[in-house]
Amino acid sequence: MDLARELSGLAGHVDWPPTPELRLTLEPAPARRRRGGRPLALVLAVAVLLALAVAFAVPQSRAAILRFLHLGAVTIERVDRLPAAPARPLTAGIGPVVSLDRARRAFDGPLLVPPLDPPPPAHLLRGDTVSFVFSYRGEPVLLNEWEFGDGFLKKLASGGTSVEGAGVDGSPGLWVSGAVHDVFFPGVSPRLAGNVLIWERNGATYRLEGRSLTKADAVSLARSLTRG
Amino acid sequence: MEGRPREERDLVLLAQGGDARAYEQLVRAHQEIAFRVAYVITRNPADAQDAAQEGVVKAWRALGRFRAGEPLRPWLLRIVANEARNRVRSTGRRDRLAVRAAGAVSSGEAAPSPEDAVLDADRRRTLLAALEELPAEAREILACRYLLELSEDETGAVLGLRPGTVKSRTARALDRLREAYGPRT
Repeated sequence: MDLARELSGLAGHVDWPPTPELRLTLEPAPARRRRGGRPLALVLAVAVLLALAVAFAVPQSRAAILRFLHLGAVTIERVDRLPAAPARPLTAGIGPVVSLDRARRAFDGPLLVPPLDPPPPAHLLRGDTVSFVFSYRGEPVLLNEWEFGDGFLKKLASGGTSVEGAGVDGSPGLWVSGAVHDVFFPGVSPRLAGNVLIWERNGATYRLEGRSLTKADAVSLARSLTRG
Repeated sequence: MEGRPREERDLVLLAQGGDARAYEQLVRAHQEIAFRVAYVITRNPADAQDAAQEGVVKAWRALGRFRAGEPLRPWLLRIVANEARNRVRSTGRRDRLAVRAAGAVSSGEAAPSPEDAVLDADRRRTLLAALEELPAEAREILACRYLLELSEDETGAVLGLRPGTVKSRTARALDRLREAYGPRT
């Protein structure tokens, strides 16, 4: 018998020592939590959907969703063509201005506030989504915060729009840049969005958007946010 | 890259973004082969465990330099193998590979191939013993290619060799094994 084949046949008969469970001494992952009693359906309903256009060559009749990626309250979906959406101001659909105290009371988690004095106006949507719009290096930037979400991973497609890992002080994050994408807030008409940093910390999900933001600037800005 | 689950790329992206849970999923998928590679090199279960564990922690720290989209397994195995070699230098203990007792079948194991069917337990023990007598270089390359069923690229990553060198050294190692085991082939 051929010796190589005989060796291959031996592979399933070697008495290997039991494989130990490798215990990783990594920094602890942020604890994920969901507000008590909040039904999963609602959590999913308020997920932000970023529909990424990745392949314009695909026939328009094929609008099938290709893949998903979830981080915290955010779901990224790859689609072969972008649903129609207008460019709208960053303040569109983020709710009315409320006092910072009201925003703090609505947000059980660690509310992050832009490091400005005085802080920019806080917006509150549906009683649980806090947003700030402010100027960063002369460009308008939007900060969204959700303190719930059941971050779970499914899939992410490769394509023209870049999605890459972008940690913020040890918290998991994603950097979405390149081609514009659609952003859907619950109950609000979709709009086109620019570059976005999304990260999750202690069960809360944060999102920074700015058309001219670079990844380095976005991460730096995320680190500079103060607990309000 | 064909055939590799695309989820690995997603997990790598998240892990590179700092998601330790995503990295742990990646490690779970590869920990058995990582441990066995370390064992082939160290020949000691405790050293192999230490090498595999230290390797995956070092890989976590180095993950930012890993190119997402490349296969993770050979990259991870290379790091674990380096850790294993460091432990071989620092210890002198060695175990020997053995054939499982007859009837002991690991969970999920596929039905025996035709090649397996004609290998009786004595023949397997003799072949493995002959393999064990080879010099480390020949033994490790045959163990990687045939016992661990690593590809040539993965074997090259583990042993620090180019794929072409893996091919030629595998042929030479088989020749040496044939000499030792020849009377039965």
